[in-house]
Amino acid sequence: MKQKFLFVFLLFALVLSACGTGQSASTPAVVRIGWGGGPDTLNPGMAILAVEYTIFELVYDSMYDLNLDGSFTLSIAESATASDDGTVWTFKIKEGLKFHDGEDLTAEDVAFTYNLYKDTPEYPYLNGYYTTYFDSIEATGNNEVVLTLTEAIPNIESQLVYLYILPKHIWETASPTEFDNVTMIGSGPFKLAEYVPDEFVRLAANKEHFATPPKVDEVIFQTFDNPDALVQAIKTGQVDMISSLPGTAVEGLKSESAVTVVTGAPFSPGPEDIIFNQIDPENCPVDEGGLCTGHPALRDRNVRLALAHATDKQKIIDVVLFGLGTPGFTLIPDGLGVWFNNTLTDYEFDTAKANQILDDAGYLDTDGDGVREMPDGSRALSFRINWDSDNSDYPRIAELLKEMWAEIGVALEPQAFDADALTAICCPTFDFDIMIWGWVSDPDPSALLYVYTTDAIPYGSSETGYSNPVYDELYNQQQVTLNFEERKEIVWEMQRITHEDVVYIIPYYAQAVQAFRNDRFTGWIIDQSKIELTDVTSLVLIEPVR
Amino acid sequence: MNRSRAILNKTAWAVFTILFVIVLNFFLFRILPGDPARAGMKDPRLKQEAIEALQVRFGLDKPVINCFDSLNPIKIGNCNVNPLETQFFIYIGNLFKGDLGISYDTNRPVSEMLSERLWNTILLIGAGQILSIILGMVFGILGAWKARTLVDYGSTGISLLFWSLPTFWLGIVLLFWGSANGFPIAGKATPGMSSYPLFQQWGDVLWHMFLPTLTYTIIFMGEYTLIMRSSLVDVLSEDYILTAKAKGVSAFQILKDHALRNAMLPLVTVIAINLGFTVAGAIQIESVFSWPGLGSAVFEAVERRDYPVLQGAFILIAVSVILANLLADLTYTYLDPRVQVE
Amino acid sequence: MQTTLQNTSPNKTASQLFNFWESFKKSGTGVVGLYMIIVILILAIFAPLIAPYDESSTANVGISDIYQPPSAQHWFGTDDAGQDVFSNFVYGARVSLTVGFFAAFISLIIGGSFGLIAGFFGGRWETSLMRFTDIMLVIPDLPLTVVIVALTKPSLFNIILVIGLLGWTTTARVVRSQTLAVKSRKFILRARAIGASKPHIVINHILPLVMPILVVQGVLVISLAILNESTLSFIGLGDPSVLSWGQMLNYAFGRGALSSGAWWALLVPGLGIVWIVLGLTLLGQGLEQVLNPRTDTHHLMPSRLPLSKEALVKPLHQNTLFEVQNLSIHYVGEGKAPAHAVEDVSFTLKEGELMGLVGESGCGKTTLMLALLRLLPSAGQIVNGKVFFKGKDLTSLSEEELNEIRWRGISIVFQGAMNALNPVRTVGDQITEAVMKHEPKFPKENIPARVTQLLELVGITADQRDHFPHQYSGGMRQRAMIAMALACNPDVIIADEPTTALDVMIQAQILELLDNLRKKLGLAVIFVTHDLGIVAELCDKVLVMYGGVTAEYADVDTIYNNPKHPYTQELLKAFPDLTKPKKKLSSIPGYPPRLDALPAGCRFAPRCPAAFERCHTEQPALHSIGNNNHIASCHLVEASK
Repeated sequence: MKQKFLFVFLLFALVLSACGTGQSASTPAVVRIGWGGGPDTLNPGMAILAVEYTIFELVYDSMYDLNLDGSFTLSIAESATASDDGTVWTFKIKEGLKFHDGEDLTAEDVAFTYNLYKDTPEYPYLNGYYTTYFDSIEATGNNEVVLTLTEAIPNIESQLVYLYILPKHIWETASPTEFDNVTMIGSGPFKLAEYVPDEFVRLAANKEHFATPPKVDEVIFQTFDNPDALVQAIKTGQVDMISSLPGTAVEGLKSESAVTVVTGAPFSPGPEDIIFNQIDPENCPVDEGGLCTGHPALRDRNVRLALAHATDKQKIIDVVLFGLGTPGFTLIPDGLGVWFNNTLTDYEFDTAKANQILDDAGYLDTDGDGVREMPDGSRALSFRINWDSDNSDYPRIAELLKEMWAEIGVALEPQAFDADALTAICCPTFDFDIMIWGWVSDPDPSALLYVYTTDAIPYGSSETGYSNPVYDELYNQQQVTLNFEERKEIVWEMQRITHEDVVYIIPYYAQAVQAFRNDRFTGWIIDQSKIELTDVTSLVLIEPVR
Repeated sequence: MNRSRAILNKTAWAVFTILFVIVLNFFLFRILPGDPARAGMKDPRLKQEAIEALQVRFGLDKPVINCFDSLNPIKIGNCNVNPLETQFFIYIGNLFKGDLGISYDTNRPVSEMLSERLWNTILLIGAGQILSIILGMVFGILGAWKARTLVDYGSTGISLLFWSLPTFWLGIVLLFWGSANGFPIAGKATPGMSSYPLFQQWGDVLWHMFLPTLTYTIIFMGEYTLIMRSSLVDVLSEDYILTAKAKGVSAFQILKDHALRNAMLPLVTVIAINLGFTVAGAIQIESVFSWPGLGSAVFEAVERRDYPVLQGAFILIAVSVILANLLADLTYTYLDPRVQVE
Repeated sequence: MQTTLQNTSPNKTASQLFNFWESFKKSGTGVVGLYMIIVILILAIFAPLIAPYDESSTANVGISDIYQPPSAQHWFGTDDAGQDVFSNFVYGARVSLTVGFFAAFISLIIGGSFGLIAGFFGGRWETSLMRFTDIMLVIPDLPLTVVIVALTKPSLFNIILVIGLLGWTTTARVVRSQTLAVKSRKFILRARAIGASKPHIVINHILPLVMPILVVQGVLVISLAILNESTLSFIGLGDPSVLSWGQMLNYAFGRGALSSGAWWALLVPGLGIVWIVLGLTLLGQGLEQVLNPRTDTHHLMPSRLPLSKEALVKPLHQNTLFEVQNLSIHYVGEGKAPAHAVEDVSFTLKEGELMGLVGESGCGKTTLMLALLRLLPSAGQIVNGKVFFKGKDLTSLSEEELNEIRWRGISIVFQGAMNALNPVRTVGDQITEAVMKHEPKFPKENIPARVTQLLELVGITADQRDHFPHQYSGGMRQRAMIAMALACNPDVIIADEPTTALDVMIQAQILELLDNLRKKLGLAVIFVTHDLGIVAELCDKVLVMYGGVTAEYADVDTIYNNPKHPYTQELLKAFPDLTKPKKKLSSIPGYPPRLDALPAGCRFAPRCPAAFERCHTEQPALHSIGNNNHIASCHLVEASK
C-alpha cells in the first residue's frame, strides 16, 4: 500500500517536472554554483557577510579591482592622481559607462555614493572603517571625482575597493538603511535577474560591460545548508561548481573524473588563533568591565614559548583540516600576499625543549601529580580553554592541545561557549585563560595589526591584552607611511615582534577548497596562489565545454 | 449553550497562553548575558561608534523595563524610567502592530522574513502531516483489523522502528539515498524556473518536496499508526460494535460508520500535541534539505545569534501551535457530542 | 495495578516481584526491550574493558587514520579525528545514558510531584498546576530548548537540566490521573479517617501506588531525553567536550563524513540511538502491559469456524422456530487449556414462546447467546453442535448469509445498554441503520416515521429521536435498545438481562412491553436473567445452566413445582416466594467454577448439599424425566429412575 502510494506521488512529480527539464542545444549557458550561504541583504551599506560581497563584486563596479595576487588595478577611472601631500585624490572617470538600466554612470554617481557611505553611520563597514579618512567628495564637470582625505593614507586602493558605485538616480530618494535594493541596479559584468532569499541568486550576464563582458549567459548561486549536500550536488551534476567543501571530501571527489578539485590560499583569509590572556593587571580596562582573571603564568613569555614548542601544528592541520593548511605565525595570513612576512621561522615541535624551558623558568611539578606548578608553588599550570561552540573544528583543536600539552605538564579544562558568552568573557572583560577563535581579514593588514595594540584593549578588539610600546609606535608609523616598500618593512617587523613574543599561537592558515565540473565549463582561473572561483575574474572568463 | 461556552472557554485560555508566551519570550532573551550587537561579529574593523549605532538601531540602548538590569539580573536596575520608553513596552506595542523587530543579520523586518518562510513550512508540514496521518491511519486500521496477525506485527514493528529514528539522522540517510537516485536534495525549487509555466513550477516544487516530505512522513507515521491501532482496537472491543455486528452490519461498514470516528478522537489529540514536535521535526528536516522555511530560519538564527529572528520565530511557532491546538480542541468538540455536556 | 503494596514484608515483596516478572515475561516485546537495554548498559558500565582504545584518544593519529573504513584494528572504522568509532561508541553510551537518566530523573521529580499534589490536594492547587502544565504542553519544546541552551553555555549539565526541566508535562498529567484514581481507594480513605497526616498518606500510601506508572513514564521520558540530546547536538548546541552519540553524529555531519563516504561514522552512533530508543519503548510497552493488561482482541477479529463432530443436517423437531442441538463452546487461549464455557446444551423454541435462561453469572449464559448468532469473541469456538433457525443451520452459514439473518430473524437486546449504543451517533440514526440494512426497499422518506413509531412503542417521545445516547437516562437507553431490536420485525429476540440496573418501575414496564409484543407479534423470546421471579411470571419454559452445562430444562411449572436438580432447588430457595411468606431465604454458599479449571465430576458437586462420592469423580449425563421434555443432569435423577 505504502509502496504504491509513494509510487503515485513520485509519478506525479516526475510527470510535472519532466516537462521542465527538456533542454535543447540552443539553451543559454547557465553556470550553477552551490554555496554554503546566501546574501541576507542586497544593500551594500548594510552587508556583513562575505557571500554578499561576492554578489556585489559581480553586480557592481568600484574604483579598483582586487586581483587574485593581492594587487589592485584601476577599474572605472582612467587615471588616479594624488596631490603632493597625499590628501587630495582626483579620479578621472571613464566615458560611456552605463548602469544596467541604461542610465550613464558618471562622476556624479561616484561622488554621491562616497558621500552616502561617509554620511550613514549605520553602515557597519563602509562607514565605520572604509570612509574613516574621508573629508569631502565632489564631482567636477569634467567627469572627475575629487576625494579629500583628513590625512594621507598608504592604502587608498584597499579603502576604495569595496565602495561599490551606486546609481544616484535610484539611491538619492531611498532610505540608506531601509532600502532593500531588490532590483539591484549596478554597472558590473552581471545584473541581478532574480533573488529569492535563502534559496538562490540568479544573475544574468551584462554583455555590454565596458571591461569584462562575461561569456556565459547566466550564473545561479544556490544556497545549501548542508555541506554534505553540496558535495553530493556536484557529484551528481546538480551544480557546476561548489565554493566550499569539507576537507574530508577532497579525496573522494578527486576520484570523480568529471570533477576538478582545487585548493589554494583563500581570497579573504580568516586566521584562526589560540589566544593567551596576557593582560597586565595595570592595563586592565576596569571601566569597560575588565575583570582580568587570567592565569598569571600566561603573562610569562617562557610559558607561551614552551606551549608553542609543545604544539604539533602539523598534526592539528592533519586532523582538523585533513592536511589542507600550512602552519601559521601571526594574525597576518599568507593569504594577504605581499604583507605576509615569509621570512619568519616557526618554533619547532620539540617536547623536550618545551619541558626544558619550563624547568629552567622554575615551573616544576612539585606535588608529583603530573601538572607543573608556578615557581612560587601558588597555582598549578592548569588553564581554562574556551571556544565558540558553533565551530566544529575548535573542539578538535582543544582536544589535541590537551593531549599535546599534557606531555609538558600543562593541564587544560576545556569548555565550549556560545559566541555571546564567549564575547562576554573575552574582551574587554579578560575573564579567561586561553581561547580558540578566529578573525575576519581585510586586504590591508592594518585592521589585523590593530588587534595587537595597547589602544585596542579597552575597545575589546584586543583579545590578549598584549601591550608593547615599540609595537604601538610601529603601528602608528605604518598608518602614515606612504611608500609601499617602507610600509611593508614596518609591517613585516611588526609580525616579527609579535611572533617573537608568542602573543598567539596560530595553529594554521587554512586553504580554500573548491571544486568544479570540468565537463560543463572551462576557463576557471586555477593557476594563481589564491583560489576563488566565485570571483568575477573566473566568472567572466569561463565558457561552456563544447 | 454549553458548546459555545466550552468554545469560549478554550479560546480565552488560548489567548492567555499566548500572552504568557509573549512575556516569557521577552524576558528569556533579556535575562541572559551577552551583547547582541557584537555577538557573532568579531571583526576589528567594527569601531565602538559602529557598535553603538547598531545598538540604537536595534533599540538596545533603551532600558529593558523599570528596575531591571539586563546585564545583571540580580542587580536592581534603573527604576526612574518612563515605562513606555522601556524595551518591554516598545516590544509589546510593536508586537500588536505586527512588528517583530529587525534582524541583526539581514536588516530586514523579521515579520517580513518569517512570513515568506512560514508558508514554505506550512507547505512542508502540511504535506508531511497529511501523508503521515493518512498512512498512519491506513496502517493503524490494517493493524487493528488484522490484530495479532503477521500484518499487525509487521506494521507495529515498523512503526516502533520509525518512532525511534532521530529525525535529522533519517534525513541525512535519505539525502544520500535520494541524491544517488537523482532526487533534488536542496531548496524548494530549481533556480531560474520562474519563466516556466505555472504548472511546471508547481511540479518542480513538488519534486523538490519529495525527500523532505518522505522524511517527515516516516518520522510521524509510526506514532500515528500505533495510536490509531490501539485506539481502534479499543473502540472495536466496545459493546456497541457487537451491537452493530449483531445488527448484521458488514465489517467494513462497522469500521466506517461506527469505529473510525470514535477512534479518531485520541488521534486528534495526539496530532494536536504533536504540533510542537512537528516544529522540532521541521527545524531538523529543513536544515538537512536546505528547505527555506521557518525551521531553517531558527537553525540559522541559532548559528548566527540573530535574536530578533529567533524571538520572532519562537513567538510565531508558539502562537501557531497554540492556535492549532485550539483548532484540534474545537474539532474534538465537533467529533465528540459528549463534550458539550462535560 | 490490582496489587496493593501496603505490606512490604520481604517475602511478599519478593513474591510480588516474582509475579511481576512472570507477567512481564509474557509480553515478548518487553523482554526484547529489556535485553536491548541490558546490552547497552553492559557496554556503558564496562566501557574501559570493552573499548579497545582510550576515550577520544588521538595519540599517534596521522592524516591517514582519518575516516578509515571498518577493519580488524577498528571494527567500526575511525572518525573525523582518526579516533576509533567503536571505542567512542562504547564510551558514548555512558554519556547518552547519563543524559537520559538524569534528565528523566528531573522530569519525573517535577512531573511526579506536580501530579501528586494536583491529584491529591485538588482545588486551587490542582487548577493552577494543571493550567501551568497545559501551557507548558503547548509551548513547542525544541525551540524553547534551543533558545535556552543557545543562551547558556553548552555544557552537559545545562543540557541535562534544560531537557529535564522541559520534559515533565506528560508525567504530571499521567500521575495526576493515577493519583485521582487511587485516592478514593478504601484503605486510603481509612488512613485519612484515622487522621494520618497528608504528607504521610501521600508518601506512604499513594506514592507506592503511583510508582509503577511513574516507572513506565520514566522509561519513555529517558528515550525522549536521549533523542532530544542528539537533536541538540545536531543543531550544534551539544557539549562538544563530552562525546555522546549525538555529539559523534554532530562531528560526522559537521566534518563531512558522508562526503568522504564514511558511512560508518554516521551509521554507528545513529543506530545506537535507534537501538536504545527502540529498546526503551519496547520495555515501556511491556511494563505497561503488566500494569494495565489489554487483551488486544476485538469484535471484528475473524471468529473461529464452528466444528461439528456429528453430521446432523436436519432439525430433529418439526414446527420449531429455533433449535439448538448439543451445542458446545470452548475458549481457546494461547498457551492455556481451553475453557469449556458451554457443554452439550440443547433446547427448542416455538413461535411466540418465551424461554428463560437462568443461572448465576459466569455460567455460560452470555456465551451461549452470542454463539447462537455466531458473535463469539475470537477466542471462542463452537466445537460441537448445531443451531437451526427456520430449518437453516446457522453454524454452517457464511458471514454474509448470517448478516441477513442477524436482526432480521434474530435480534439481541444486550446487557447494559449504556455501552451498547454508539455514543457519537444519535439513537434514531442507529435504529435507521438497522432498517436500511435489512429493508433496503423501504421508502427512505418513511424511515423517520417508522423510527419514531418504534421509539414511541417503548415510550420514548419523537423529539428524543435525534438525541445522543448520553442524553438518555439508563432506562431510556434500555428501552431504545428494545426498540432497535424490534426495528426489523424479527422472529426471535434474545434479551440478555435487559432489566438489571434498572429501577423496579421501569423493569416492570419493559417486561410488560416484551410480553405484549410477544402476544401481538408472535415473537419468540429468549430471556436471560437470574431473577426467578420474572421467569415465573413470563416464561413458558426454563433452561437452568450451571458451569456451562444444562442443569435442568423444563416448562416453567415443572421447574417450580418439581425441580430435580439440586442447583435449581437451591436457586428457588434463594428466591422469595410470595405464596409462602414465612419461608427463610437462603443463598448458595460458594461460587460457580472457573471455566478453565472445572472440577473432575459434576460441576456443581463442590457446592451441592446432596453430593455423594460419584458426583466428585464422574460427570452426570443428561437424563430425561417423564415425557415432558424435562431434562436434568444429576446422578440423583439417574438413581431415582
